[in-house]
Amino acid sequence: MKRYLFKRLLTGLLTIVIAFVINFLIINLAPGDPIKTLMGKESDDPVLRAALEEKYGLNKPLHIQFFSYLKTAMRGDLGISIIYNRPVADMIAEKLPATILLVLTSGVLSLIIGTAMGIVAARKEGTFIDVLFSGFSYILNSMPSFWLGLMLIIIFSTVLNILPTYGMTDARASYTGMAYVLDVIKHMILPVGTLVLIEIPMYYRIAKSSVLQVTNEDYILTLRATGMSEKKIFNKYIFRNAILPTVTIFGISLAYLITGVSLIETVFAWPGTGRLVLTAINQRDYPTLIGIYLIMSVSIAVVMIVVDIVYAILDPRIRY
Amino acid sequence: MDNVILDVRNFNVTYVNKYKKVYAVKDANFSINRGDSLGIVGESGSGKSTMAMALLRLLPEKSTEISGSAYFLGKDLVKLSEEELKKLRWKELSVVFQKSMNSLSPVHRIRTQVEDIYRVHNPKATREEIAERFIHLLKLVNLSDRVYNLYPHELSGGMLQRVSIAISLINNPKLLIMDEATTALDVVTQGQILDEVVKMEKEMDMTRIMITHDMSVVATSCNKVAVMYAGEIMELGYVKDVLKKPMHPYTKGLMASFPSLKGKKEKLQSIGGFLPDLSKKYEGCIFAPRCSSAMDICQKKPPVIEMENGRTVRCHLYGGER
Amino acid sequence: MIRTIVNDKQLLFGILGLIFLLLVAVLAPVIAPEDPYYYGPDVLNKLGENGHLLGTNKMGQDIFSMIIHGTRTSLKVAVISAFISGILGMLIGGVAGYFGGQVDRAISEFINIFMMLPTFFLILLIIALFGNSIYNVMVVIGITTWPSNAKLMRAQALSLRERTFVKAATAMGESRLQILFKYIIPNGVFPVIANTTVGMSNAILTEAGLSFLGLGDPNIISWGQMIYDGKAYLTSAWWIATFAGIAIVITVTIFYLLGDGLNHVMNPKRSKGKGV
Repeated sequence: MKRYLFKRLLTGLLTIVIAFVINFLIINLAPGDPIKTLMGKESDDPVLRAALEEKYGLNKPLHIQFFSYLKTAMRGDLGISIIYNRPVADMIAEKLPATILLVLTSGVLSLIIGTAMGIVAARKEGTFIDVLFSGFSYILNSMPSFWLGLMLIIIFSTVLNILPTYGMTDARASYTGMAYVLDVIKHMILPVGTLVLIEIPMYYRIAKSSVLQVTNEDYILTLRATGMSEKKIFNKYIFRNAILPTVTIFGISLAYLITGVSLIETVFAWPGTGRLVLTAINQRDYPTLIGIYLIMSVSIAVVMIVVDIVYAILDPRIRY
Repeated sequence: MDNVILDVRNFNVTYVNKYKKVYAVKDANFSINRGDSLGIVGESGSGKSTMAMALLRLLPEKSTEISGSAYFLGKDLVKLSEEELKKLRWKELSVVFQKSMNSLSPVHRIRTQVEDIYRVHNPKATREEIAERFIHLLKLVNLSDRVYNLYPHELSGGMLQRVSIAISLINNPKLLIMDEATTALDVVTQGQILDEVVKMEKEMDMTRIMITHDMSVVATSCNKVAVMYAGEIMELGYVKDVLKKPMHPYTKGLMASFPSLKGKKEKLQSIGGFLPDLSKKYEGCIFAPRCSSAMDICQKKPPVIEMENGRTVRCHLYGGER
Repeated sequence: MIRTIVNDKQLLFGILGLIFLLLVAVLAPVIAPEDPYYYGPDVLNKLGENGHLLGTNKMGQDIFSMIIHGTRTSLKVAVISAFISGILGMLIGGVAGYFGGQVDRAISEFINIFMMLPTFFLILLIIALFGNSIYNVMVVIGITTWPSNAKLMRAQALSLRERTFVKAATAMGESRLQILFKYIIPNGVFPVIANTTVGMSNAILTEAGLSFLGLGDPNIISWGQMIYDGKAYLTSAWWIATFAGIAIVITVTIFYLLGDGLNHVMNPKRSKGKGV
């Protein structure tokens, strides 16, 4: 277990380093000189240029540049946003909680709903409900998330007029306490609903196929031959074995959500990092974009390590 | 009749799906007395595993039809309700499957699985009680009691198969079915396990059905043998009679394709041709197309001819209408 | 061959759908009633108004014609990026699996790490910095999505190199590169092809996502771009975004069906029947 943990941590660390390398390469390979990229296309302030040159040591060889870049970034210094003239790290930290709220809520909900649907479909394989769920998941899988979000806005807001579509709170009212929480929840329904619908197929497919596969295993046949009740066989043995791949999928799904959420935040004007991405793209604010990419890479690496450790705890076979 | 553990009459198993029917077992008749060990041999696809699974009622009910009767301790396994069947399962009738690596849940300790299985019939049993009973069985199959607390992946294939056998014996069943239970093991381990099984049987007053494609397994561990081909029992009798003097041309062919145990060097021969398509019904003898002694009359269904010592042969060569 | 296709419903619908898409793409100028780049006088027309089947947008472009022509963009993005990704995946995975040893270890570790990085955002970043022409989009999707193909090819190569015909070729003195291109890649290509089809779906979705963030190629008509434009008119002219999205859903579904069908046919391990 210790060795496994160590190996995983090492891979995680390596992932983060590679993310830095890629970042560094992109900045250096992009058309125009790196300083210009870091300063944004429209700005050409000689004072700032000198400061950046000094900071990143741009007159030195490439590998030295890389290490000084790594060193500043490791200290939490992700550069200064040209547009807002503020440290990128601060801006991201400010927007992060809203994004995390969205990502975790929809991650957990889609895990529960998608897995439950998959189990039901596997238990009733070939029935109407299986066909219905499978068709539903197929179509959802083909939908661009942002388009689904727009369609939900048309249905629930324009036509039915029952849900808010914009922001995280009602800007006209200033709620406190419980009323504030309820207001946020109301604003979360559409963005979370969209993300959950988009994530359901992943969990549905893995849960269904894995339950079907485990049900056909020899040890389940043996348990049937012992006269054990179907309920106990399912609850204790099939479920416990079939849930393992879902753990891995949870990691992949969170990783997808961390990036995919930008699109949904754009649709619903959710005040998270996604909004930051959109403005950074529109304003050519490269330090911000690069900073967000780094933060995303690091959080995904962390999520993956945690998921792998959870998996190792659940599956006794991985304890070398 | 008191001595009869299992009596199978006109037993048929048919797989049914949307497009076709597959006649996997046809008109099987045999009975096993207390203390017997019956080997069912045949090549893969001969229906031997299907027959075992059907007797255990473990085939999916939607896609199989079973007819005939199989009286086990006076109760017909074919007609028994699921509830009544549950009372028999593992207590009187247990099974060991082929794939030792897959016969236990990989994410539960052996202890957990044994406790759950034992409590199906003894819900109030304590952990200590079960541990004591199982460790005794582990000794019988030459395993240390340390095994009890391990996970399946921590054991080798041979050890796992021994654990499976020990689990199958936990309720002291009257009848044990071993479905290719030693096939996946190396020859030495296989030999050891077979020896242990034969020894235990005497100790525990158990009857056994051994399903295998390996004649040598039958020769070393069974007293009766049924030779199956394409879903039919071709020849049935005591091992000492059948192996010494095989009568059915298929049994002869099967014997010739295995090396002699006594070490006489003979040329091994394989039987020409392939298994027939079991989704069709055949008028005549099912083995005729591959049989070197086939005659005109083989276009008709051969009768089951009864000989001395309970032996039966399904072949025109040994009488019936000519 | 024909029977396999007819028997596998997913493959059948996938192939019929693909034929349909290709026909629409090739015959786009014939099917589309108007030039999609033509800024007409009918601004924000409703469905059916002035003969515009699916209405018009703020520039007076005919939505139906735009969708028909958008098929070309989507197919082009799908095919070219999946092709690049497939070729890279086959080469890198083939080398890793067949050469083995240190090379394999290094490449495998790199693949694992690369698969953990946020691909969509990497694409976004590169497009933002390097410019958002449709060719950049295709190339960047191609060079960032190869790892899954490489993984499949590597697994194939690992098993193929133990096969007799490969060993025979080695004994005959053929060079490792020759064997790689003559035996390993041609014999291991099928799972990669099936996976590439799924990759096409993802490429279409990625292109649409980029367009929606304002990183689409403004000189070209694409469905993602239409949704991006339609967002501002969601309440007043819902048809602009809606139908472009439906076109994406249909196209992506077709590629998924095709991919699943190919997977079934090329890995015939579906039979559940145990030994009789």
